[in-house]
Amino acid sequence: MKKIKLATVWLAGCSGCHMSFLDLDEWLLELAQKVDIVYSPIADIKDYPDGVDICLVEGAIANEENLALIKEIRQKTKFIISFGDCAVTANVPGMRNMLGPAETVLKRSYLELGDITPQLPQEPGIVPELLDRVSPVHEVVNVDLFLPGCPPNAARIRSVIEPLLKGESPVMEGRKMIKFG
Amino acid sequence: MTVKTLTINDQLITASAEQTILDAAKEAEIKIPTLCHLEGVSDVGACRLCLVEIEGSSKLQPACVTQVQEGMVIQTETEKLKEYRRMAVELLFAEGNHVCAVCVVNGNCQLQNVAIKVGMDHSRFPYKFPKREVDLSHRLFGMDHNRCILCTRCVRVCDEIEGAHVWDVANRGGQSFIVSGINQPWGEVDACTSCGKCVDACPTGAIFRQGSTASEMTCDRSTLEFLHRARTKKEWTR
Amino acid sequence: MSKTIVIDPVTRIEGHAKISIFLDDAGQVEDARFHVVEYRGFEKFCEGRPMWEMAGITARICGICPVSHLLASAKTGDKILAVKIPNAAEKLRRLMNLAQITQSHALSFFHLSSPDFLLGWDSDPAQRNIFGLIASDPELARSGIRLRQFGQTIIELLGAKKIHAAWSVPGGVRSPLSEEGKQWISDNLPEAYETANNALSLFKGILDRFETEVKTFGQFDSLFMGLVGEDGLWEHYGGHIRFTDSQGNIVADNLKEEDYKDFIGESVEKWSYLKFPYYKPLGYPQGIYRVGPLARLNICSHFGTAKADQELQEYRDRAGGVATSSFFYHYARLVEILASLERIERLINDPDILSNHTRAKAGINNLEAVGVSEAPRGTLFHHYQVDENGLIKKVNLIIATGNNNLAMNQTVAQIAKYYVKGNTMTEGMLNRVEAGIRCYDPCLSCSTHAAGQMPLQIQLFASNGELLDEVFRD
Repeated sequence: MKKIKLATVWLAGCSGCHMSFLDLDEWLLELAQKVDIVYSPIADIKDYPDGVDICLVEGAIANEENLALIKEIRQKTKFIISFGDCAVTANVPGMRNMLGPAETVLKRSYLELGDITPQLPQEPGIVPELLDRVSPVHEVVNVDLFLPGCPPNAARIRSVIEPLLKGESPVMEGRKMIKFG
Repeated sequence: MTVKTLTINDQLITASAEQTILDAAKEAEIKIPTLCHLEGVSDVGACRLCLVEIEGSSKLQPACVTQVQEGMVIQTETEKLKEYRRMAVELLFAEGNHVCAVCVVNGNCQLQNVAIKVGMDHSRFPYKFPKREVDLSHRLFGMDHNRCILCTRCVRVCDEIEGAHVWDVANRGGQSFIVSGINQPWGEVDACTSCGKCVDACPTGAIFRQGSTASEMTCDRSTLEFLHRARTKKEWTR
Repeated sequence: MSKTIVIDPVTRIEGHAKISIFLDDAGQVEDARFHVVEYRGFEKFCEGRPMWEMAGITARICGICPVSHLLASAKTGDKILAVKIPNAAEKLRRLMNLAQITQSHALSFFHLSSPDFLLGWDSDPAQRNIFGLIASDPELARSGIRLRQFGQTIIELLGAKKIHAAWSVPGGVRSPLSEEGKQWISDNLPEAYETANNALSLFKGILDRFETEVKTFGQFDSLFMGLVGEDGLWEHYGGHIRFTDSQGNIVADNLKEEDYKDFIGESVEKWSYLKFPYYKPLGYPQGIYRVGPLARLNICSHFGTAKADQELQEYRDRAGGVATSSFFYHYARLVEILASLERIERLINDPDILSNHTRAKAGINNLEAVGVSEAPRGTLFHHYQVDENGLIKKVNLIIATGNNNLAMNQTVAQIAKYYVKGNTMTEGMLNRVEAGIRCYDPCLSCSTHAAGQMPLQIQLFASNGELLDEVFRD
């Protein structure tokens, strides 16, 4: 049987969803038989490949690189999963949205708290500029499935991946599957 | 007492004339989701979760403030209603700053519960991220306007059960917010008896006990239920 | 013509980053920079939140070591409440931190770094990851996965969640360990010991093969900072701050976290979202110091547990006294896993661990406090100012990985100078540059209070700063 091409990406989030993915523990050994990890922070592939079957997207869209990457992912992926509350709602990274433009938060960290050479990080092509508004993934591209939770626990993640591997649709209802937080 | 006969979800039921559709449905063990409704205080029909379809009426009606009438034919679970309810909940999430993950009532929240019930796995409306304040001036309690859904349960429970009328709604429409006293810090409102009924009434983590940490607070509604029962049924002991 | 190579993204590290390598006219590496490219702004948006919620919010800085933030935040909260937490609470917090060190170090070693040692620096990048390891050595991979699971499960037994359990709070912790929980830990400790010992033997067995890596992966003099307990005992939760140098001399000792601004400065470079902390008395950038496992083993006198002390002796023999090569971070991590297991064993046999007296309650009694803990990656500071009602007015966070920023930069430059020869750049060379970063197990999601995977891109810059070429590894 042809292996499913699975990608995982980490945008503006804390990596907790990826850690929860690793909490699948020994089921990862089984998963490894069924999928090829074609792009992931835990793997050494630098470019997002074409023809990805499923992509788990952790994190919100907070900077220009997140934005460019998610658009590329959408073009090259059949099925995108908003993975965790940051991707689904902007969650904690979205808390800066209440303060207005990105500059407000940048000033605190780099001008007020930098005690020598206080300056705002800025290097085009290297340090991506923050967007003024942190957005959930589906406000930027179409999302095929929402997997909320902060993070979704391993059981919830497995309840989504297992049916997908069989070509079935996961049932996203009830406290076990869609409770936020 | 006049008795009316009506149909809810194809089930024939009887109710007394002064009952609301919500009460009548409850007696018949038909569950209609609610959020701004609180047993024992008046209803305002603010949250739009209890909307029902009534045959012959093109408008959806809130069950909590609509009285039963003879021969009414009511549906509570149509696809259209389900869609409206989900939209209503999504709007509540989009309008405030409900960061469930770090909220004091995460896991014990009525807004969260209702979101699960209506099947909300995301909000289709863009989040507004309004700038709102937190008031910790009260000795025992706190008010986080980020989590307020303007259900006014605090306003009504304080006015109608405690009789203190600490809370009110300021402004109109999208600018509305809950105020204590004459828009003072809560801790400076002399009328407040610190009874905590508003804490127990709040469906979200907006009004909370000070010192609560994330996912820690539960609301104890037994006091409110006791007071309501005592008043209506004259049962003054627990 | 001079140029710059950019590695983007850096992978198998915990965050978003890039590396730039600058070549001179002759094609020789002149310098290299490590860029952290994420930023979320916790220091600002926490303003206005109730102090009690800070543990829950700051846990979301990092999903790998949320426990570190829980602890540093709760300790800051303890001081704002001006309480001494119950003994049981301190022991329970320690238990959770040790569990976290175990799981996080297991993740770093097995899931992220071991593919380099075991499959090879130059092996197929498509396979050089935990799934490749599963394919080539499933039993080793399984044992590593189970060791991480052991740590994660202890965290869950205490806090009811593996990730982001808001269990450590100002005043103590929410609940003790259950009798069943204690039993589970006790039943599973032998397997954890076995895995830790096997990993140590494995690593020591291959260390001799990595002579070049030891010499080039961040082999330089620097200061080392961390917490130590009484008599210089290895510490991860309490104690005081110590700085030592590469000769093993104590440079500063008995420092208090409250005074951190006296000895740590934070510099900003425009090419990274990660600030550059430095030891203030030496200035910037001379005040370079390292934190984390390597530093903790250098600054402490002993572990106080038998097996770990024996390993520490051997570790120091192999390092020639003070370990100054960052390649030794991997080794130090394994020794710390063993030490953590021994301490876990000791703690679960302490009667206090089942006590219900785990929380002291109080109101706001101080308006400013600094809390510190040793995260798996190093010393972590939380500094809060609150108003009289407990609303946060100001926050400053100095994060474990941030402390290593100068050292990480120096490391990539050293490796690049050794391995990267202008015209014959290979994937394996670039992987070594990344592996230099992996030594530090950087948690960039923490360090910029940011987020992110670390993809790797290499850019070539001319000496006038013009971008000449870009190489994406694939």
